Amino acid sequence: MNIAVFVKQIPDPALPGELDADHTLKREGKLVLDESDSYGVEMALQLVDKAGGGEVTLVSMAPNNEVSGLRTALAMGAAKAILISDDALAGSDALSTAKVLAKAVERAGEVDLVMAATESTDGYTGTTPAQVAELLGWPSLTFAKHVEIGDGKVTIQRQTEAGYDVVESSLPAVVSVTAGVVEPRYPSFKGIMAAKNKPVDEVKVTDLGLTAEQVGWAGARQQITNVEAAPARAAGEKIEDDGAAHEQVVAFLEKLKVI
Amino acid sequence: MRFAFTDEQLAFRDAARDLLARECPPSYVRSAWTGDGVDARKVWFALAEMGVLGALLEASAVDVILVIEETGYAAVPEPVVEHAMVGVPLLPDIIDGQHTITASDDPKCVVPFADRADRFLLLVDKRLVLVGQQGVVALDNLESVDGARRSAIVDYSRVETQFSERETTQAFDRGALGTAAQLIGLTRRMLDMTVEYVKERQQFGVPIGSFQAVKHHLADARIALEFARPLVYRAAWTMSEGDPDASVHVSMAKAMAGNAALLTARKALQCHGAIGYSYEYDLHLFMKRAWALAAAWGDAAFHRASVGRAIL
Repeated sequence: MNIAVFVKQIPDPALPGELDADHTLKREGKLVLDESDSYGVEMALQLVDKAGGGEVTLVSMAPNNEVSGLRTALAMGAAKAILISDDALAGSDALSTAKVLAKAVERAGEVDLVMAATESTDGYTGTTPAQVAELLGWPSLTFAKHVEIGDGKVTIQRQTEAGYDVVESSLPAVVSVTAGVVEPRYPSFKGIMAAKNKPVDEVKVTDLGLTAEQVGWAGARQQITNVEAAPARAAGEKIEDDGAAHEQVVAFLEKLKVI
Repeated sequence: MRFAFTDEQLAFRDAARDLLARECPPSYVRSAWTGDGVDARKVWFALAEMGVLGALLEASAVDVILVIEETGYAAVPEPVVEHAMVGVPLLPDIIDGQHTITASDDPKCVVPFADRADRFLLLVDKRLVLVGQQGVVALDNLESVDGARRSAIVDYSRVETQFSERETTQAFDRGALGTAAQLIGLTRRMLDMTVEYVKERQQFGVPIGSFQAVKHHLADARIALEFARPLVYRAAWTMSEGDPDASVHVSMAKAMAGNAALLTARKALQCHGAIGYSYEYDLHLFMKRAWALAAAWGDAAFHRASVGRAIL
């Protein structure tokens, strides 16, 4: 069982985010492993462990050959990583990112399963896993809160508003997991020391058979024309109780469809 | 040359910091006072799994010093220094968290975390000795300033091993260094708590942190912290390098770290006002640990005297 896990390296979410002049997120300093990706890493490690063989390969696209976040995931137990870092990737939209990641999965060799978070903590598009699946021509299973592999199939519990659906597909497939799927382990001292020597395959866009025109600003199908602060919250509605306030409260809750 | 902690040392610190932020909040430290935690030893086993307890067998003091500092920041109610810093290099078979070593340099054989340990390293006639569980006749519980430390006098009938003078000196230095690192962590914690508090607490319509007299208290604490911290890291470095002056450096570190923690405890209490005295408020969990640790493995006067002897 070989699993590729997408991991995003993001600016530390504890610090206030800043935008560059081109309205994209500043990613200059040290980047960290997106916490939402640690669940996929942990799930993949457990599945490989259960399968009794195989390895976990990390796939990450990041500026400036950033590896800090990758080292964290390698310290957790992943075997190796592919890092796509290229100036041509600046300005990539979700689809360009998916193209790059899909090519990187092909480069990773025999992969039975791709795991990703539902969405990144800094971008929140939530579309990349499904796009990758489409590009690879593999089934896409999303919002998994439980994942099992057996008999050449993957079975997930897909989180819904009311509970969960059981979804099954053949392998290989792309699965996106929610934050509740497993408890990520903390890297151990041995893991951290071992991570130092684990291979990170650093590649450029052209190494993946893509051209600079297909990605980055050149390939993006979206433009960012403006960025504005979110509007301040409007004041709520105040109801003076003249004896009939409960009817207004009920009507309000009905409008929200909570009763 | 880049003279700083390596990425791996920082990653080890970050992993421990994340673990302790999650598993060892003040409510957990508080539960150790009463001893009725549901998972009373979950932090101990988590630290064992992370490799903190046995790290000194494969790594040097400078590799672990930041992690030990974090255990101080969280006021972990376990014998981390006694086990990982003092005990494990002497008893290398005990690293998996299943056994717990406690240790002390106290002449009356008062050890911390006595009820959690099954191996006791005691200082008898200037030499460390090992007392196993079978050798213990009784543990006389003592009222301790820090209730989470659960101190007791070990009454023993049989000694399993006596360590050499050299082993004893080195173990003592490791204990003092680890305690100094924890004191740095505690100092940071008390300062963080107080800075948060004075930004929040309003008086005369403004946060009390905007008053210069309050800022001065906190600046004094910060200066003490920043003067002590490099000494602790230097001592860890020279101990790792086998520098013959390491012992003196440890004494400098322990004296300064202890004083920084005591000063910060006082300033923190002052800036908190009455709430700082409350048992229900968390400050005392860290303050009392600082008091206990400032006196453990040689207090500031003891270590200043050691430095004095070394330079005169």
